Amino acid sequence: MEPITLSAGQPEGHVCKLHPQSMCPAFGSLRILSRIEGSHPVMATDTGCLYGLTFVTHFYGARKSILAPTLGSAELYAGEIVEGTRAAIEAAAQEPGCQLVPVVSLCVAETAGMPEELLPRKVGDAEVVLVRVPAYAIHSHPEAKDVALEALLRRLGDREGALEARTAVVVGEVFPGDQLAIDGILRRMGVEATIALPGRSVHDLRRAGRAAALAPLHPFYKGTTRLYREWGVPVAGGAPVGISGSYAWLKTIGALLELDPELVTQVAEEERDRAQAVVAAKSLKGARVLVTGYEGTELAYARLLTEAGAEVPYVSTSIGTDPLVLPDELWLKARGTRDVVYRKALEEDMAALDRYAPDFVLGTTPFAAAAKERGIPAMYFTNQLASRPFFLSGGMAATIGFVAETLERGVRYREMREFFAE
Amino acid sequence: MPPSLIRDLSDTSGYWAAVWTMCALPDVHLIADAPVGCFNLVATAVPDYTDAVPHIANITPATITEQEVGGKGTSDKVRWTYENLRASGALDGKQTIVISTAESEMIGADLSSVAATLGEGTRFYWSNSLSEDEWAGRDRVLRWLWEHFGAPRAIGVNPAPGTVNIIGPTYGCYNSPSDLEEVRRLITGAGGRLNLVYPMEATLADTPRLAAAQVNVVLYREFGAGMAAAIGQPVLYAPFGMRETTAFVRELGRLLGTSAQAEAFIAEEKRTTLRAVWDLWRGPQGDWFGTTDVGIVAGRSYAEGLTRYLGDELGMKIAFVSARPRRPDDPDNDAIRQTLHRRAPAFVFGSINEKIYLAEAGAKFVRFMPAAFPGPTVRRAVGTPFMGYRGAVYVIQEIVNGLYETLFNFLPVDQAYSAMRGGPPKIDAAPGNLPWQLEAKAILDDALEQMPYIPRISASRQLQMQVEALARERGLKEISPELVREALGRAR
Repeated sequence: MEPITLSAGQPEGHVCKLHPQSMCPAFGSLRILSRIEGSHPVMATDTGCLYGLTFVTHFYGARKSILAPTLGSAELYAGEIVEGTRAAIEAAAQEPGCQLVPVVSLCVAETAGMPEELLPRKVGDAEVVLVRVPAYAIHSHPEAKDVALEALLRRLGDREGALEARTAVVVGEVFPGDQLAIDGILRRMGVEATIALPGRSVHDLRRAGRAAALAPLHPFYKGTTRLYREWGVPVAGGAPVGISGSYAWLKTIGALLELDPELVTQVAEEERDRAQAVVAAKSLKGARVLVTGYEGTELAYARLLTEAGAEVPYVSTSIGTDPLVLPDELWLKARGTRDVVYRKALEEDMAALDRYAPDFVLGTTPFAAAAKERGIPAMYFTNQLASRPFFLSGGMAATIGFVAETLERGVRYREMREFFAE
Repeated sequence: MPPSLIRDLSDTSGYWAAVWTMCALPDVHLIADAPVGCFNLVATAVPDYTDAVPHIANITPATITEQEVGGKGTSDKVRWTYENLRASGALDGKQTIVISTAESEMIGADLSSVAATLGEGTRFYWSNSLSEDEWAGRDRVLRWLWEHFGAPRAIGVNPAPGTVNIIGPTYGCYNSPSDLEEVRRLITGAGGRLNLVYPMEATLADTPRLAAAQVNVVLYREFGAGMAAAIGQPVLYAPFGMRETTAFVRELGRLLGTSAQAEAFIAEEKRTTLRAVWDLWRGPQGDWFGTTDVGIVAGRSYAEGLTRYLGDELGMKIAFVSARPRRPDDPDNDAIRQTLHRRAPAFVFGSINEKIYLAEAGAKFVRFMPAAFPGPTVRRAVGTPFMGYRGAVYVIQEIVNGLYETLFNFLPVDQAYSAMRGGPPKIDAAPGNLPWQLEAKAILDDALEQMPYIPRISASRQLQMQVEALARERGLKEISPELVREALGRAR
């Protein structure tokens, strides 16, 4: 794990970053680890942390029982972390159909020390994979997804079998329909198969080691990207988002997998035409939108809205800056976005709300609530994005439709505020 | 001794208890000596779904990073946070309290002396998060609030006749708006006047006024008794069921000197609110109580209250009870899970953990009734109490509605419709029974035995038809044990 340095100092002329906005970082890892069939996570942490993370995992992750060693002061001071964790691993491996026991090591356990060499690598049929995600060093929950995925692929990715040419690993939690749409268009270009990660199956993780290209759809999969570079597997930057993004991405995939260039161009152009038709049919012109979630996908979202005609003066996210996200930042800034804020705090979003008087806000729950208190249409980015398509022309149409509908309902937000102000 | 394991933790820590208690007081601002996750989970991610609030605003994290963990310590971060909060005006008129978390305790950050050097009166609260659970934690923080912000300023405050405090709820108390409303109604009915509801409807500045009540009603058996004892007036616990509620109203009337009013209230409630219980008891619904079994997993007040009401008063069979915090003989989550996998009762009151165990078991004939956290539920309407007279009505109303729902799900629906959707295999009209091998019949009986009593009649016919349909599909002349096992597996 590579620690990420956060500055405690305050850059001049900026609002004070007092309330950082991220789901507990570790949740990102639990979400993807709990959703794998046959995976039974063990969490090494204190009870407060365990309660909160189990709560959100049972809300957003999976209907899955979660085991943990008791780690109170007695166990921590007696140095019984490894002993307890081993016992929990043994118990988890007994669950029916268990193939994988991810050991999620959190703040307290990481501070006390969790030596990997003292944990089993395998119990029965189950692989045991240590995932280190202390919140104090990971900082955002999207990045913890990457930490978990990298750990899984390092252990499970099959590097022995024959390379599957024309097979791409498509990485990123997306709406299920998007996965099919992406797979469909890539097959039309001559791709034989796509492997969608993080997914539901251990088999996909193994097979991902044999793929011929990696396509991270979200810009925070930097550890996973690093791993594929180590493996000598090419990585496609960008994502199939909006008009220009989708076109460029399809061409990139075509080049990486050495597909028939004519066919690729033809498919990419058709898709570009469809996306342009979507915008021609319904534009968001005149709408000013703030995109301020904590999912790490905010820049791509802002990019789509901008292409759809909206004005997006301010974008903020929980992830740190990275070469993977830089192209989107430059693209946005060249098209009118004034501020792109990484590792944002509530104070920065609030200042933007004052500064830009938006027509619509996509934000964290505290920030969306603050916008609604002003009668501004606002939604919780995380929940709303997970529930509709986003990629390619189909996703563009769905997203524009969703934003347009919300804007049309704007009067409700004002009426509701007036009612409660009376 | 083998290491102790936790399956699906039910009780959170002293840190959560302290945040959920102190942040209920709007004139408090907490600085949590915490990494980002400990701030997000307790103040946003979980209260979104327990208390249905977008976030808790009067808490700020010092945001521990690897620098602080790696030896620098957290005092600079806490000081920086304090100074910037103060400069922003967020601390105006507030009592600032710095609170430890499991991680800050892990690196030994006792900030008592640091807090003392911050603005005047700033306090440090050691949440003891590596040792204390949420129940002991709430009890201790309430005592601490009384000791530091109540008792010293309560000298000369005397109980006013007829006044009552309610101690509890805090954030994160299941169904508290409804229970609070009902207990308030009972107190008024008995002739009392509300003095303070602490902490949920009070301010920190109100704390000394706790001494002004003649009686303290403690809402939960899990916590609050410590504060009530320190205040020193007579203490009553919020009641469940008809008998206990009657005793509560009577005793409150006696303590307040309003017995005549209390008796009149009881009599009126029997004619009005409780009439529903009497009608259901005399009606066909009442016959089911004795044949329906219930499992209960909930906070201690709910667990004990439901057991007394459903078990002792109505005569329902109580399959198992597990209170939070767990009493010595209560089953732990492992044992509860095994029970629910093996044979679940007709009704399970519980948290999302029990709901997951039922999902794992495919126990679709069991009615699950949320009765505890963890788990997302909105309980902000005040019409769903478990406590008091209205609670007695609400709980059996929901049980009866659950039974109706179960029955409905077993009534036959014409197969033409399910065939239209590509549903289960078509059953030929009046096929006549196929012969069953003895062992095959025994397996079916066993499966039915696992099922709650009420749906058994319909279920037995339905399962029999499914098994025989499968046999016909395969052209079998007789029902074998293997076939029954297979068909039952599919029926899940």
